Amino acid sequence: MNTITDAVVIGGGIAGLQVALDLADQGFDVVIVEKEPSIGGKMISLSKVFPTLDCSSCICTPRMAAAAHHERITIMTCSEVQAVQRVGEHFSVTIRTRPRYVIESACIGCRKCEYACPVLVPHEFEGNLGARRAIYVPFTNAMPQVALLDVENCTFCGACARACPTDAIDYLQEPAITEMEAGAVVVASGYALTETQTADRYGGGKLANVLTGLQMERLLAPHGPYGRVLRPSDGRIPDTVAFVQCAGSRDHSLPEGQGVPWCSRVCCMYAIKQAMLLSGSLPLVDITIYYMDIRAFGKGFEQFYQNARAMGINFVKARVARITEGENANPVLRIERIEEDGRVEDQPHDMVVLTPGIVAGWDPSSVIPVQIGSDGFVLSEHASLAPCRTRVPGVFVAGTASGPKDIPDSIVEAGAAAMEAANHLRRTAYASRRRTEAEAGGR
Amino acid sequence: MTETKRRVGVYVCHCGGNISDVIDVQKVVDGVANIEDVVVARREMFMCSDPGQNLIAEDIAAHNLDRVVVAACSPSLHEATFRGTLKRSGLNPYLYEHVNIREQASWCHKDDPEGGTRKATRLVAAGIAKARNLVPLDPVRVPVTRAVAVVGGGIAGLRSAIDLAKSSFEVHVIERAADLGGHLARPGRVYPTDEPAQDLLTGLLAQARSLPGLTLHTETELVASTGYLGNFRLTLQGPSGEPRELTVGSIVLATGFEHYQPSLGELGFGMSDRVVTLPDFIERLDPRGPTGGQIVKDGKPVQRVVFIHCVGSRQLEGVHVPPEGGRLYEHCSRVCCTTALFASIELARKFPQVDIFDVYQDIRTYGRGQEDIYEAAARAGVTFFRVAGDAPPTVEIDASGAITVRLVDLLTFNEPIEMPVDLVVLVTGMIPRDITPLIEMFKLPRSPDGFLQEVHPKLRPVEVCVDGLFIAGACQAPMDVAEAAASASAASAKAACLLGGDVISLDPFVASIQAELCDGCGLCLAECVYVKALTRAEGETVPVVNTALCKGCGMCAAVCPHEAITVRGWEIKQYDAMVDAIVATGGHP
Ligand SMILES: Cc1cc2nc3c(=O)[nH]c(=O)nc-3n(C[C@H](O)[C@H](O)[C@H](O)COP(=O)(O)OP(=O)(O)OC[C@H]3O[C@@H](n4cnc5c(N)ncnc54)[C@H](O)[C@@H]3O)c2cc1C
Repeated sequence: MNTITDAVVIGGGIAGLQVALDLADQGFDVVIVEKEPSIGGKMISLSKVFPTLDCSSCICTPRMAAAAHHERITIMTCSEVQAVQRVGEHFSVTIRTRPRYVIESACIGCRKCEYACPVLVPHEFEGNLGARRAIYVPFTNAMPQVALLDVENCTFCGACARACPTDAIDYLQEPAITEMEAGAVVVASGYALTETQTADRYGGGKLANVLTGLQMERLLAPHGPYGRVLRPSDGRIPDTVAFVQCAGSRDHSLPEGQGVPWCSRVCCMYAIKQAMLLSGSLPLVDITIYYMDIRAFGKGFEQFYQNARAMGINFVKARVARITEGENANPVLRIERIEEDGRVEDQPHDMVVLTPGIVAGWDPSSVIPVQIGSDGFVLSEHASLAPCRTRVPGVFVAGTASGPKDIPDSIVEAGAAAMEAANHLRRTAYASRRRTEAEAGGR
Repeated sequence: MTETKRRVGVYVCHCGGNISDVIDVQKVVDGVANIEDVVVARREMFMCSDPGQNLIAEDIAAHNLDRVVVAACSPSLHEATFRGTLKRSGLNPYLYEHVNIREQASWCHKDDPEGGTRKATRLVAAGIAKARNLVPLDPVRVPVTRAVAVVGGGIAGLRSAIDLAKSSFEVHVIERAADLGGHLARPGRVYPTDEPAQDLLTGLLAQARSLPGLTLHTETELVASTGYLGNFRLTLQGPSGEPRELTVGSIVLATGFEHYQPSLGELGFGMSDRVVTLPDFIERLDPRGPTGGQIVKDGKPVQRVVFIHCVGSRQLEGVHVPPEGGRLYEHCSRVCCTTALFASIELARKFPQVDIFDVYQDIRTYGRGQEDIYEAAARAGVTFFRVAGDAPPTVEIDASGAITVRLVDLLTFNEPIEMPVDLVVLVTGMIPRDITPLIEMFKLPRSPDGFLQEVHPKLRPVEVCVDGLFIAGACQAPMDVAEAAASASAASAKAACLLGGDVISLDPFVASIQAELCDGCGLCLAECVYVKALTRAEGETVPVVNTALCKGCGMCAAVCPHEAITVRGWEIKQYDAMVDAIVATGGHP
């Protein structure tokens, strides 16, 4: 592999992919470093997206495919940036690639190994609601379509190696280190969710029918774990579903890791979206959204919210103090109404969706000296005029790495970060110098 | 119809379940597998995924396919993906036909899977018929001018211009007003950096003026545009009165927004000088503003100030009445909650004795650091009242000029509140600016909210349906300074991608004329809706197509009595074949 490039983009979610495309289309070479075995980030696991209700994988895969097939874009999966060193005006980036135990160039994604593997483990991509094998292709529309072996759960029975038609399985694969020289670095490492469901007040993670927003996304996805929306405890179709807004956000009382004091920005809209999709697939279901403020602030969002009201989804301004388990494994919500008479009551529901807080997916300050805010997200050089430039020249930020945001806002920032990075590369003449040197060397 | 033998590959996509939950995809495959020239017919979970595309590539190699049909989602999503697959496999990318059996079959026939399956089969058969008649095409290539016009000199326009000038494009900022900066040019501080807006502007302007290749045209309007992507010929009307011509490769529209102006009497507006809009109030808070930073009533500092949110935003039919000839503004203006809270904190800081009230429906402090502003406002002593959207507060001004605000507060369980106040601040929203001439000039669509409509609200927020035109800042939707700056840079990036090379490739679906069939009747010339796309020189019989201007709409082909003019890739004989196939395919039994 060529170990010199123009820009390294850390994170292959929708923001990172868009940065890469907007740089590559300007003629720069880009390497995307993605920690997971597939690009696509969180977006590829969503069902449909607000407010257009487009099927998420249908609009995300074109971007993934465009990046994967772009002649100027190289994608490294199962890879993480270990160090970034400034060398004059450019950077030396150390990338560590975890072994897949499957030779990437040999695997044809036929899944024969997967079918042969006897081990079943909960599937992270399906929010642990479905199962996968110990060797598996990450998910149907993963890119690249290459299997990986989960050594933690592998029994080394050898079935996969025997089933593989191309001898791609290599139990002895070692981690690989790549030293990449680059003129610019873009941090697009996205977000993670707090473990709000494990908070004592929400049942300590033990209530089967209390799900997180992302789990509900999977249940609603056309190719999700059950193929339809069912209660995890008994496989029954739920009659009543509740959404607990700000469960892990705008809360100073939850410990770190379970909640955050800020607004996570997308939960109001995804709850409304999920409520709409639910009432589409289960016409008789009764849906209640418990909320503090509905933050339908983006383009077309307010109409979306008003449509949801008109569809008969109940919006109740209330705080949910705790969740316990009642009869039939029904979660029971202790709610304190903020409106009407302010009464406190217990409301049973068949199924409850919690909206966890959104936190930074990665702390880049361990490898790049960028500044991090007290909220853990990357700080920009000037929050108003240059939101995508960090305080380290040549390092830029895009998407949810600089705070919770939805897909359109992530896409816009990705474009902006690409513009900033392109101008940095032009100013330092890094790209052109590199090409001239390469040509001279080639002669 | 076709004489030559073709080798067609047909691929039916499950789309995860989006298609296969309704359509029996195997039946569709079986229903078309025996059509003449079909060499392989298959189905797959996601045709757009790597395995799906590899399947096509392998079949092209193994079976020598020369035409490919994929039946999947809308062509707007994946047609380009599969053309790319053909190209990588060494086939001309235009030997590809995309059939939409998701929007046009599975999604609209959920209640009739069998009928949907029959329809899908027919559509695929028609696609095959067309594919058999496809011919290789080459993209239209047009040279580009490495210059960009930015219409509007506010924050978004300036930011975009600076980005592009730094990328060494020639940039022209066209600003109608005498001064640059738009709304940023007014006094007042802005969140989140808590800086005077004018300081931000000064910095930007200094940068813009220092960049070679960046020209700022003030008191200038864009009055006409001809040409196309890569080469727009613009006419500017400047202060001198002499129109001026300019050629640019791309245009960034950054025309911004307008503040909602309440109508006379709306929440007391215009009935007292102590009922003001938020932008006016922010100006007064600024020591450089019209009142020198003083907020007074009868010469004495005010005691009680109320902010009323959502004035001109989130309007509801039956509750709000649009002005004569006006419209309701149903959208949320996004920035006003934070702006109002930010202003109330500043008010409390400067005048600690003031009692501040805030009447809202939902507090939408969504952005980074904005929840802190909300909490700080509460700590600063702001008292909040929550009202329902369909029960807005009222403002009454009596003969003595005393102001009373009445509302029903949801936070205290529907308690009716009546409060005398010294000053009412109407938190007015952002509404689309009237840019009708530009909209007509470029035939731009608007979203239902009246702002400019992007190509795709999720994935292509700064592009519009006119090639070569981009939108930046609040002309697309309400947004704050940082968001406008990001949107401007994103638009610049798109322009830079477009104009980076010497030529631009366009789709080849343009009109073409078979001269020997043309008798020069001229019907097509009269029908063409695009300026100069179809022309005929003096004394000539046969018209000429300007392939860069032609949009392939087919109006000319529809009127030609001799089928002399036709649209490449959408030829009449291809349509004929499709219709024949639809009629012939009864679907499966
Ligand atoms: C339940 C739910 C529903 C949602 N629904 C919608 C919706 O309907 N519409 C909408 O607009 N938005 C929605 N969102 C928000 C949406 O998910 C985000 O806006 C979007 O995915 C952000 O993209 P990103 O690229 O910034 O981050 P991510 O998707 O998180 O991508 C970041 C990528 O970086 C990788 N990465 C992280 N750290 C490293 C590292 N150290 N090295 C290398 N790679 C790394 C990650 O593996 C990941 O692939 C929803 C969010 C949730 C939680």
